[in-house]
Amino acid sequence: MTRTAESGMLVAAAGVAAFGVTLVILAGGQTIDSRIGLTFAVMVAAFGTVHMAIRRWAPSASTVILPPAALLTAISLAEIHRLDPVRAGLQQWWLLIAASMTVALLFFLHRRGTATIRRYRYLYLLTGLILLLLPLLPSTGPLPVRGLEVNGSRLWLVVDLGITEIRFQPGEIVKLLMVLFLAGYLAERQSALAERPRQLGPFKFPEPRQLFPVVAVWAVSLVVLVVQRDLGASVLLFGAFIGMIYTATGRPTYLLIGAVLTASAGYGAYRLFDHVERRFLAWIQPFQNFEDAGYQVAQAWFGMGTGSLAGSGIGLGRPDLIPNAATDFIYAAVAEELGFAGSLAILAGFALLIGVGFGIALRCRDRFRKLTAAGLTWVLGLQAFLIIGGVLRLVPLTGITLPFMSYGGSSLVGNFLLLGLLARISHEEPA
Amino acid sequence: MPELILTILRLIFLALIYLFIWQVARAISRHLGFGQNRGSRKTGKQIAVVRSDSQAGMTFAVNGATVVGRSDQSDVQIDDPYASEFHFRLVNQDGSLTVSDLGSTNGTYVNGRRITTPTNLRRGDALQVGKTVMEVR
Repeated sequence: MTRTAESGMLVAAAGVAAFGVTLVILAGGQTIDSRIGLTFAVMVAAFGTVHMAIRRWAPSASTVILPPAALLTAISLAEIHRLDPVRAGLQQWWLLIAASMTVALLFFLHRRGTATIRRYRYLYLLTGLILLLLPLLPSTGPLPVRGLEVNGSRLWLVVDLGITEIRFQPGEIVKLLMVLFLAGYLAERQSALAERPRQLGPFKFPEPRQLFPVVAVWAVSLVVLVVQRDLGASVLLFGAFIGMIYTATGRPTYLLIGAVLTASAGYGAYRLFDHVERRFLAWIQPFQNFEDAGYQVAQAWFGMGTGSLAGSGIGLGRPDLIPNAATDFIYAAVAEELGFAGSLAILAGFALLIGVGFGIALRCRDRFRKLTAAGLTWVLGLQAFLIIGGVLRLVPLTGITLPFMSYGGSSLVGNFLLLGLLARISHEEPA
Repeated sequence: MPELILTILRLIFLALIYLFIWQVARAISRHLGFGQNRGSRKTGKQIAVVRSDSQAGMTFAVNGATVVGRSDQSDVQIDDPYASEFHFRLVNQDGSLTVSDLGSTNGTYVNGRRITTPTNLRRGDALQVGKTVMEVR
C-alpha cells in the first residue's frame, strides 16, 4: 500500500465512524445534526496528524499499521456514541490528545531513533514501578495527585489541575515502559537465557540465576495483583514478559514456566481474595450467580445471543443492560448490535494489527528493535485476547480495556503511543 | 424512518467494514511477501529460511545469480557465525536452480550432503549452511 492509499484508508475509516453515528441517530429517531460531521472531522484530524507525522519523520514506516487501528477506533466511536453520547464526546477529545502525543513521540525520535530509547532502560523500570505504585497514594488529602479506587481495584490516578481534574490509569503507560525495559534487558542476555545446561527429567533448564528476571517480573505482577487488586494488569504484564522471553530465546520451556507460575499465583489469589473468587465463579457459573458476580457476563451472553448473525442493528439492541458496556464489555455491545459478522470483523482487525506487528519484528535485524516490536505486539494481542476471552468466557474475566475500542483516555493514549513506536521501528528497519 | 431502509443501511455498514478489512488484509499480505512471484513458486525459485537464530521466516526470490553469505556485500545476507563471507551462489537459469559452493570454510549441504560440484535444486530440497536451514519453494 502506498502512503497515499494509506491516507485514503484512514479517510474511509473516518467515513465508517460517521456512517455508524448516522445509523445511531436514525435508529433513535433523532434528527441528523452536527455530530456526524464532528465524528468524521475528529477521526480525520487524529489519524491524519499521525499520518502526516509519519510522512515527515518516519517516511519508510510500514503503511499498514494505522488502517486496522483506525477501523477499530471507528467502530468503537459509533458504539460508544450509541451507549453514552457524553462519553463519546470525551472519547473524541482523548482521541485528539492521543494523536498529538504520538506526533510528539515521533518528533522526539526522528533524529536518533530508538537507539536513544535503549540507553535509558533502567529509568523505564524505575518510572514504571513508581507509576504502578502511584494509585496507592491516599485518595483524600492536600496532594494534587491522588489515588482512586474503582470497582474494588486501585489503579486510578486523579490529577487535580485546580479547575478540573484528570483521571488516569498509569498501568496503560507502564505496559509500554515495561516492554522497553525488557527489550533492552533481554537483548543483552538473549544467549545466556537460551542456554540450557541443567536437566530435570525430560526437561532442560537454563542456569537458575538466569531465571532471576523471570521471578522478579512475576513478583512485580504479584504485587500488582495483591496491592492494587488488578487481575488484568497483573496477568498482562507477566504474560507479555513471558511472550518476550519466548521470542528472544525460542525456548518453549519459558511458556511452561510461565503457565505454571500464572496458574499457581491464580490459585493462590483464588483462595486468598474474595474478588478473585467472585470473578472465578462468574466465569465458571455466570447463570448460577446471576444476582451477584455473574450478572455482567450473563447479560453480555444474552446480548450476544440476541445479536445472532448480523446483529440487532446499531442503536436497536439493548447493550445498555450490560454493566460497563462502554469500557470492558464493548466487545459484547458490538457483538449484540453488529452481530457475529461485526464481532468477527473486530477479531480480524486485531489479527491484522498483530500480524503487522510480528511482521515488523521478524524483519528487524537489531535485537533490541526486534524484541521491542515483538513485545509491543504481545502486549496488544494479549490484552485483546484477555478481555475478549473474558467476555466470551474462554478465560476468567480480568477487567482490562480492549485496545482502541473501550472508552477510556489512558488506554487510547497508551495504544496510540504503541502504534507510534511500531511505526518508528518499521521505519528504522524497512522491508 | 421506514424499517426496510434502516435494515439496508445497517447491512451496508457491515459490508463497508468488511470491504475495509479486505483491502487492508490484501495490502498486508503483499507487505509480508505472500503471493510474490506467484508464477515462479511452482518452478522453485523461492528460498525460505526455515531454521535460523534470527532470520527464520525470511524468504527471498532467486532471479539470475544470487550470492548468499555473511558479508553485507553479498546479495542475501545470512546471520550465522558458521557462514563464510560469500558462502554459495544460486543461479536461476530459465527456472532451473543450481547451487555452487564458493569455497566456504564450513561447506554447503544439500539434503544433508556436502556439495563439491554445482548441484541442481528441486522444490522441497533443504539447503544448510552452519546452523541455518533453507528450503527451496
